[in-house]
Amino acid sequence: MNSPEMPPGMAARFVGQRVPRKEDARLLTGRGAYVDDIVLPGMLHAAFVRSQIARGRIRSIDLEAARSAPGVRAIYTAADLAKFDLQLHLMHGVVGPIVRPLADGRVAHVGEAIAIVIADDRYLAEDAANLVFVDCDAETPVVTMDQAADGPTVHSNLESNVAGGIQSPDDPELPAIFARAAHVVEGVIVHQRQAHSPMEGRGVVASRQGEGEMTIHLACQSPHMAALYFTQLFGERTDVHFRVLSKDVGGAFGLKVQPWREECAIIAAALLLGRPVKWIEDRLENLTSACQAREQRCKVRMAFDADARWLAAEVDFETNVGAFPNNPDIGALAMMMFPGPYRVAKVGFKTRAYYSNTVGQAAYRGPWMMESLARETMLDKAARQIGIDPIELRRRNLITAADQPHTLPTGLAVDRVTPRECLELLLEKLDLPAFRAEQAKARAEGRHLGLGVAVYVEPTTMHGFGGPLVSDSAHVRVEPSGKVSLVISTHSQGHGTQTTMAQVVADELGVPIADVAVLEDDSSRGGFGPGAGGSRQAVSGGGAAIRASKLLSQKIKRLAGHLLNANPQDITIADGLVRVAGVEEVTTTIKRIAQTAYYEPARLPPDAELGLEAQYRYQPPGTFVFSNAAHACVCELDAETGVVKILRWIASEDCGVMINPAIVEGQIAGGVAQAIGGVLMEQISYDAYGNPTAATFKDYLLPTAHDIPQLEYCHLVTPSASEGGFKGVGEGGAIIGPPTVVNAVADALSAFGAECLDLPLTPAKLLKLIDGA
Amino acid sequence: MSRHQVELTVNGGTITAEVEARRTLADFLRIDAGLTGVHIGCEHGVCGACTVIVDGDPVRSCLMLAVQAHGATVTTAEGLAAADGTLHPVQQAMREEYGLQCGFCTPGVVMTLAALTADGARPSEAELHEAVSGHLCRCTGYQGIQRVATRLARAPQGEGA
Amino acid sequence: MKPAPFDYVAPTSVEEALEHLARGAGDANVLAGGQTLVPLLALRMATPSLLIDVNRIPELAGVSRVTGATRIGAATRQKAVLKDPTVAAQVPALTKALSFVGHPQTRARGTLGGSIALGEPAAESPATALALGAVVEARSTRGAREIQVEDFYLGPYTTTLEPDELIAAVRFPDWPASTVTVVHEVSRRPGDFALVGLVCALALDGGRVSRAGVGWFGMGPQPMRSRRAEQALVGLSASAADLAEIADMAVSETEPLDDAQADASYRRKVGGRIFQRLVGEALGVRRAA
Repeated sequence: MNSPEMPPGMAARFVGQRVPRKEDARLLTGRGAYVDDIVLPGMLHAAFVRSQIARGRIRSIDLEAARSAPGVRAIYTAADLAKFDLQLHLMHGVVGPIVRPLADGRVAHVGEAIAIVIADDRYLAEDAANLVFVDCDAETPVVTMDQAADGPTVHSNLESNVAGGIQSPDDPELPAIFARAAHVVEGVIVHQRQAHSPMEGRGVVASRQGEGEMTIHLACQSPHMAALYFTQLFGERTDVHFRVLSKDVGGAFGLKVQPWREECAIIAAALLLGRPVKWIEDRLENLTSACQAREQRCKVRMAFDADARWLAAEVDFETNVGAFPNNPDIGALAMMMFPGPYRVAKVGFKTRAYYSNTVGQAAYRGPWMMESLARETMLDKAARQIGIDPIELRRRNLITAADQPHTLPTGLAVDRVTPRECLELLLEKLDLPAFRAEQAKARAEGRHLGLGVAVYVEPTTMHGFGGPLVSDSAHVRVEPSGKVSLVISTHSQGHGTQTTMAQVVADELGVPIADVAVLEDDSSRGGFGPGAGGSRQAVSGGGAAIRASKLLSQKIKRLAGHLLNANPQDITIADGLVRVAGVEEVTTTIKRIAQTAYYEPARLPPDAELGLEAQYRYQPPGTFVFSNAAHACVCELDAETGVVKILRWIASEDCGVMINPAIVEGQIAGGVAQAIGGVLMEQISYDAYGNPTAATFKDYLLPTAHDIPQLEYCHLVTPSASEGGFKGVGEGGAIIGPPTVVNAVADALSAFGAECLDLPLTPAKLLKLIDGA
Repeated sequence: MSRHQVELTVNGGTITAEVEARRTLADFLRIDAGLTGVHIGCEHGVCGACTVIVDGDPVRSCLMLAVQAHGATVTTAEGLAAADGTLHPVQQAMREEYGLQCGFCTPGVVMTLAALTADGARPSEAELHEAVSGHLCRCTGYQGIQRVATRLARAPQGEGA
Repeated sequence: MKPAPFDYVAPTSVEEALEHLARGAGDANVLAGGQTLVPLLALRMATPSLLIDVNRIPELAGVSRVTGATRIGAATRQKAVLKDPTVAAQVPALTKALSFVGHPQTRARGTLGGSIALGEPAAESPATALALGAVVEARSTRGAREIQVEDFYLGPYTTTLEPDELIAAVRFPDWPASTVTVVHEVSRRPGDFALVGLVCALALDGGRVSRAGVGWFGMGPQPMRSRRAEQALVGLSASAADLAEIADMAVSETEPLDDAQADASYRRKVGGRIFQRLVGEALGVRRAA
């Protein structure tokens, strides 16, 4: 566990080290505990009956044949759940349609859940579900943004299909700037709809524990948030205490932040039925009914002076949020972040989000990523139009240390970021002149390499606007066994918090990392916190863990001083051994201190609290914690087939103090892989009738090991102002990755005088452009 | 709908059961044999999360019926490590290379690599990289998985990774 | 995604299997590798009453030599065909084609016969069988018959196989030892079905093409063959070849479709290019600048 560079005899220090993950032995031997692994006595299985049409009125639901199918225990429709009067609210966001767990009288998208069939096993439930006949009057759906803008409203209680939007205040200077600008660059960037596609879909097991308690096993991003949600949702009419358990989750990326209709329907069903009910989303459901992401269109105008200094931008952003979004994004953060780490003085913007008869939108890793995608691709376009190297354009406009703290024209204040420095480090690693030479040589041989570079800052750890994201809570204790337990409001779906939080606590307390157990899987344990989402856990959870551990350390030292007749300030703790500085022969262990603290009150100082426990609820300072990076990608575009291969990827990043560089790199690589998939191959689309056209992994193409090179990294460390100096990094690869790929392809395409900002960049699309040139 | 008696060896032990014809091997292993380390990611044979070893071959257990495994020898991730808990070389390599994050695709990847390197077999780097291309992972970007495939191909004959 | 209920039998002889197939009255499916059928069952796009598992019939698997041909039992695993030295020596195009098929995990179960019977338009094996002039040996309780692969495919996933017939084997008649082969596909990711795929076999006699077989996958509603291009190739020598025209001819005999991955014009364009480049390389033609 120790870094091999540590001098002998020095205490173990874990923060900053590539510590192997504590989770791995369990997960590698197939001993994870995911929601589908939960088996309860008497548990039944659910399958949903789903709408085959995108829009219409339900005339009747014929359950007769289904009810008498083998093994069927119950079938529920909206009418059965009406007694709970469930109206699903959004954890974050705008008032919108009334959302019931099941379709009630009307359907608004293909795949919408209409009925729950509950049977002895999933096979039987599906058999019966196939015997339910739903008779609908079909109506012409609105599928695209443009149809939604003008078409009939998706939700009858709303006046239009505009789910929301913002606009910057009128600025009369903007038109003047554009009018006199030496260069005006315009473009439209279109991002297709995507499916989050975690390898584990959604899932829930809902179990009544007597009259007043429900235990919910849920694939989620925070057991606390989920328990809060269910309490708020069911609260008035059920007076039920919810406990949410969530140990291992097979990826989420924003899909599992907010419990949504099916999960809530299953809980209602379990309440009605009085037996545990399990629903595990299969891949067909996941790709056609689980909330989806992106589908945005962004029109950009940028004004530059004669020296290629970026003066101003106008941005028009639209997005299709589907019928029942659980986290509709009206583009506010994307617009606020649009200036990025550049000295541009003015940005005007307008956004619109539209409802449509498609699956609703959920947040997806870096939901505001259009700011980086649109800005960085347009900067490259500007560079080509102006006739200047895209790197040079960035050098002239990027903020440096001297500019900070820097306030974006949209109001956000950015500090402690190193975009320029990361760019220079990146270029050094890339060896730009060598690449350009290689590129020229390849072109002479008929091969088309492209280089894409993108730079951004990331607003991690959003916590300054109030609401559930404000703080995280850590409770840390030394057990009478001498081992340390940390109960914390973080939650991993692959983030490795079982390891990173243990590293932090082990360092603060001076104990072996193997002795620290991290517990984050139970809403009934520990204090409320938002878990995963928004790249926050290292900062907020790490900060809470540090502060709680400092308090506990003080208690240990005070007690040790009392027991060892020494000044607490002379007490040192390392590897679980407690010593008095300068008095080598006097030692004891954390374990003995703990046993005294719990079992021998008479030996404690008169006013001391028994036991060894401490708790802290931490709010990071400021509004956001900004991290930053510059990425580069080298691709090869095959002019014969239009196929793009990513040859090389460099991430030059600054996320402050890294708790575990291996985990940091893992997060970056995962985001980059999603970016590559999103730019080159993933696509959720609908036909004119609102039928999804990608229902399996044969059609929805995810990148494989073949598509992702071994990433190279440069790390700068500019500590944040928060406890530990950490910054968020989880979403970054998925934000900066897309423009990096698009710019690389654009560089290769430029040899043909073509460009494409209409994602995904499929071989067919690219070949048309290559040959049309 | 027919039911069938099956007997198969799973992780070294014999399992006897009566199964419906349509029960997949994946569901049999997870539910009837209690081996929840076999994960179901797609049920149409693309993601590879359900991969187990059947008679020496890595196969997608969601694409086999349990009844087809009658008489077969099956190994899952639960059966790879030694009795004293020592990780199989593939598991150990995955740990050292940070080959997993959420762990959901992981047992499938491990079983593919374990099957292809069993009994001293040493496929080429290209073969092992092709094999891991048959697995979908949404978390890691395949970084550690690729490094493990390379290590296994280059390991000296008879050693793990 | 659980299959609908079905009955299942696992006969241990071909005769037994044929009896089940005859009684199945068109509502039975043969289960070979399962790599295509089981997903269809899971999606409930296939709902047979009876599944006849042919994996326990020893005589259906194995590679053997018969007079002037290589005979591959229908239930032979793709993995076994890929590694088979007789196939590598006698039907090298098939070995090449199988290296593109799926992944080791799917080839461990998938069978050659299953692939031929399915006739997936974008799959490698049917197009290879078509290009090489293979023969399907079909059997039923009514007897045995042979079907030339060029007569076998009628349309998307539609063959001339009767509902009570089972493919017993696929026979690949020998091509001359001088034959050079091209197998290439353009796909989004390795192991995917092809966007465009080409199989070309050229028998050479004294430096000239004496026989040609040109098959395509991903270029139509079924595996496609370019007969006129084959005729045009016969007699060509490396120095005299003008492949641009023959490439156009070959592509004109295909009927590529538009789908979510690519449109027909993409397929024609790319098909023409890979034909010209790879057949040219096979012939040793120097590319004109």
